[in-house]
Amino acid sequence: MIAARAIKTRASFLVRLSTMGRVGLRMMFFDKAKLLGTLLGVVFAVVLVNQQLGIFLGLIYKNIMFVQNSRADIWITPPSTENLTAGKTLPNANLYAAKVTPGVAWAEPLLYGGGSVKTPSGGTEPITLVGTRYPRYVGGPWNIVAGDAQRLSLPDTMFFEDSDRETLGGLNLGSMREVNGRRVTVGGFTWGLEPFGPSYAFADYETARELLHTASDQCSYVLVGVESGQDPSAVKAALQAKMPGALVMTGAEFKGKIEYFLVFKQSLGVSFGTSTLFGLIVGFVIVALSMFSSVVDNVREFGTLKAVGSTNFDLGMLLLVQSLTYAVLGSIIGLALVTRMAAGIRSAKLALVLPPWLTFGTVAVMIVVCVTASSLALLRIRKVEPAMVFR
Amino acid sequence: MSDYAINVRNVTKVYGDGDNAFLALKGVDFAVSPGEFVMLSGPSGSGKTTLLSILGCVLTATSGHIELLTEDISRVKEAHLPRLRREYIGFVFQAHNLIASLDATQNIELLLRMRGFGRAEATAEAHRLLHAVGLGDKLESRPGDLSGGQRQRVAIARALAGSPPIILADEPTAALDAQNGLAVTELLLRLAKDHGHTVVVVTHDSRIFHLADRIVHIEDGLIAREEKRAS
Repeated sequence: MIAARAIKTRASFLVRLSTMGRVGLRMMFFDKAKLLGTLLGVVFAVVLVNQQLGIFLGLIYKNIMFVQNSRADIWITPPSTENLTAGKTLPNANLYAAKVTPGVAWAEPLLYGGGSVKTPSGGTEPITLVGTRYPRYVGGPWNIVAGDAQRLSLPDTMFFEDSDRETLGGLNLGSMREVNGRRVTVGGFTWGLEPFGPSYAFADYETARELLHTASDQCSYVLVGVESGQDPSAVKAALQAKMPGALVMTGAEFKGKIEYFLVFKQSLGVSFGTSTLFGLIVGFVIVALSMFSSVVDNVREFGTLKAVGSTNFDLGMLLLVQSLTYAVLGSIIGLALVTRMAAGIRSAKLALVLPPWLTFGTVAVMIVVCVTASSLALLRIRKVEPAMVFR
Repeated sequence: MSDYAINVRNVTKVYGDGDNAFLALKGVDFAVSPGEFVMLSGPSGSGKTTLLSILGCVLTATSGHIELLTEDISRVKEAHLPRLRREYIGFVFQAHNLIASLDATQNIELLLRMRGFGRAEATAEAHRLLHAVGLGDKLESRPGDLSGGQRQRVAIARALAGSPPIILADEPTAALDAQNGLAVTELLLRLAKDHGHTVVVVTHDSRIFHLADRIVHIEDGLIAREEKRAS
């Protein structure tokens, strides 16, 4: 005679998770059209989010790269500085005061201003002219692709951006051009040094002062190196106490200030944030609707699973595995596409910056999006009556 | 507790409420002995599927007393019904209700795994059951690749998976031709008798009545009459 109950009646949580997960995956891969549609939604969201955030981070990088590559621990800037801009100047008294402040290893002046290059065709092209002092040359040039920085010490010699060679009328090493009305020789080239505005061009400090017509007792910024073992924050505080008429920031603080200025005051954040959010919303809607319609299409199968003893929790695990799979597969495909795209569009003017945190963050965000989107399907499953199997 | 596998006393079921209330079962008394093969018959809307749903723990009765073997299920909370279904019931549905994306073996394994069978044990048992229903050569066929009769055989194998003491079948021959309908019911009868399952079959199909130990006719929400067949 048969036992009064079934031989076994309940599996452990892990067995239920693995069983429901397998069923969920088989259901997913069985309906290939729906699988493809849902994956396309996730891939679209991943590509759009990464493309927008990659360009956004690329633009941010282009605007902080000068500070990042300056080799300065501390920046002394004109008061109310929010960004690296031309025009404002500081009295050189700040430079001398910095040099004698305890903890300061070196202090160098920097000139930063607008310039124009006369091309052979008779037109002019704008540049951002940077004057940096021999022999330390803090503040540039860097990313040198031709020439040697020490050549800046030669009279009336400048470094230009390699990607501007054609624009500036076919520049080569040794070419002569008129900058702000004075003839200079091309001593070298840099690559990719283009901020929001015109590209950087570098000259020796004295040459730049003459080209920019800056008074001899003024400079744009003072860059400070801190002695090894000294705390830059403490040295910064000491400098700020000495210089109430200037704004003193560590390099990290200045970068943060520029980022804040670009994101919030230039509305860069709103613009890119909106398109990123749009990508996430599109992904969410596509995944939610696909998974919901999959439940509706297979409602009888879900009713059967309930009738044979599966709980809402079991079916929730099935949806969880499906949504995690959509998120991970879609992210992998999307990230592969966006990485290829980034390599394809990389240029001196534009680079998609895709740091590891963005890659891992994308997968995490897509998991949240897909799991949240599956809750709509779960709501439908909760309403499925097992008694429907008899109708 | 009674000696019955199924014992139903004065069970009522009301759908809806107020002016829209519909009394589907009006005080049904019904009992099935262990190992018995019973057919429930009656016209559409007579309440036989409602009774089967209550016995299958997929629907709760409005009032009355219901026992399945050793368990009084009259006042069981809805959240506990899935456990009762796993412990006591195997289902055969009218439209087989197999999972389209799973092959025959996987459809049976699924139930066994959810009941706590190990992976290898579940596969071996699923294969044994499929051989028992004559589908040893269709172990990896999906429902879409099987005929109606073969699908219903897989459904019978699934209902027997894990040896639940009670098998409930809802119109198992409705989607089959006469020959296949008879063959499938004979198979169900043979396997149930071999292993001592108690079986309740809801059917309109008078061509299979001769296979039942007892036929219970239900009309207008009440048991109208019973016919006992010689074994």
